[in-house]
Amino acid sequence: MIEALDIVLQNGEAMSPEAAENLSVGYAEAAAALAVGLAALAAGYAERGIGAAAVGAIAEDDDMFVPGLIMTVLPETLVILALVVVFIVG
Amino acid sequence: MSIGASNPEYVNARVRSRRASLFADEDYRKLIRMGPSEIARFMEETEYEREVNALGTRFSGVDLIEYALNRNLAKHFEDLLDWSEGRLYDLVSRYLRKFDVMNLKTIIRGIYTETDPEEVQTDLIRAGELDDRTIDRLLEVDTIEDAIEVVSGTIFYESLSAAHEEYEETGALVPLENALDREFYEHLLEDVSRSPGRTQPQEGPEARYIEFLQAEIDFRNARNALRLARSGADLDPAAYYIEGGVLFDASDLNRLVGDYDALVDHIAENKRYGDRLSGALGRLREADSLIQFEHALDAALLQYADTLSSIYPASVSAVLSYILAKEREVENIRAIARGREVGLSESEIEEELVIL
Repeated sequence: MIEALDIVLQNGEAMSPEAAENLSVGYAEAAAALAVGLAALAAGYAERGIGAAAVGAIAEDDDMFVPGLIMTVLPETLVILALVVVFIVG
Repeated sequence: MSIGASNPEYVNARVRSRRASLFADEDYRKLIRMGPSEIARFMEETEYEREVNALGTRFSGVDLIEYALNRNLAKHFEDLLDWSEGRLYDLVSRYLRKFDVMNLKTIIRGIYTETDPEEVQTDLIRAGELDDRTIDRLLEVDTIEDAIEVVSGTIFYESLSAAHEEYEETGALVPLENALDREFYEHLLEDVSRSPGRTQPQEGPEARYIEFLQAEIDFRNARNALRLARSGADLDPAAYYIEGGVLFDASDLNRLVGDYDALVDHIAENKRYGDRLSGALGRLREADSLIQFEHALDAALLQYADTLSSIYPASVSAVLSYILAKEREVENIRAIARGREVGLSESEIEEELVIL
């Protein structure tokens, strides 16, 4: 992406087709990275509540360990789906 | 006010798990047919095991059951305060302060009757906000004045010292006890509903929490009013009136205490409680059973808390509903044990229980 920006700065007035191609790929990758990052943040936020509840349940009853673990990692699917975007774009 | 984020998810998970392990209604039916020592043995196999074993050498029979219940209650409510943080701690602790009030009353009465501190100590339920050190110091003092000095810095200090003057004039404990009660109920709604610069929330968990507390205050007022009306005692109703509810205001109460039927009608006409209590009110009109009505009030409050805890799963309401349910369990077991001790019949004991 930084490369792409450099090209913009160097060729301020006219842009070769090659440079324009580079630029669009750069933007797409930046957008994909942002998508994954935001999804991970959201997953983390969701897991905060679930994890707290799961630890509470496990403290009362050891058998809750496996269900608690599964519930806690469920929001992780968000990140996996967001990762798909990277492959579509890339 | 405590700072920091609150953790309703964690507390809720733990509370709901404990709620599930409370006695079911069938267990009460089983308990009703048992004698005190059998009840103690039954409790030993449930979650009261540790308390029954710890106290088993010192007490027996109904005393053992009673102290084990108190200790277990204190343990669980202390846990609640340990777990909760931030805003949740505020909301839970202001409700659990009622045990502080209870303990202070017990201690003051103990000092008044010059009871041995050891005996007073066994009657305490250490579930409130006062820490063990303060309570231990309270147990050591010899005069009520010193006891009030010990609680300086808590919310009870000012009203207690004001009431102390009245106590010195009359020599009766009533002003002190009323001061404690009133302080508790006034702080219950403080800064959730009436803080300057903040309007009362109209919806969401906090609004329902306020509604619940108002119901508690209303029911307390209703209970006092009915008792006064029923006993015909020549007491000033205003002295027992607690502000903050929606069912009565002070003038209503003064007017209604003289007229029993009008009082019952007044409760029935209220749109917030009328429907919910209609069955109990009907029974109250027909029979002389004030006790049944009071139990119906308890049951209504409990059901209300349960409903709230399913509407707002991650809020303080699940904790409240657990507190009420646990208290109900302890009171029911105590009623069964005491009832068996004095030889009441099974159906008589059943009337004493709060069963949903």
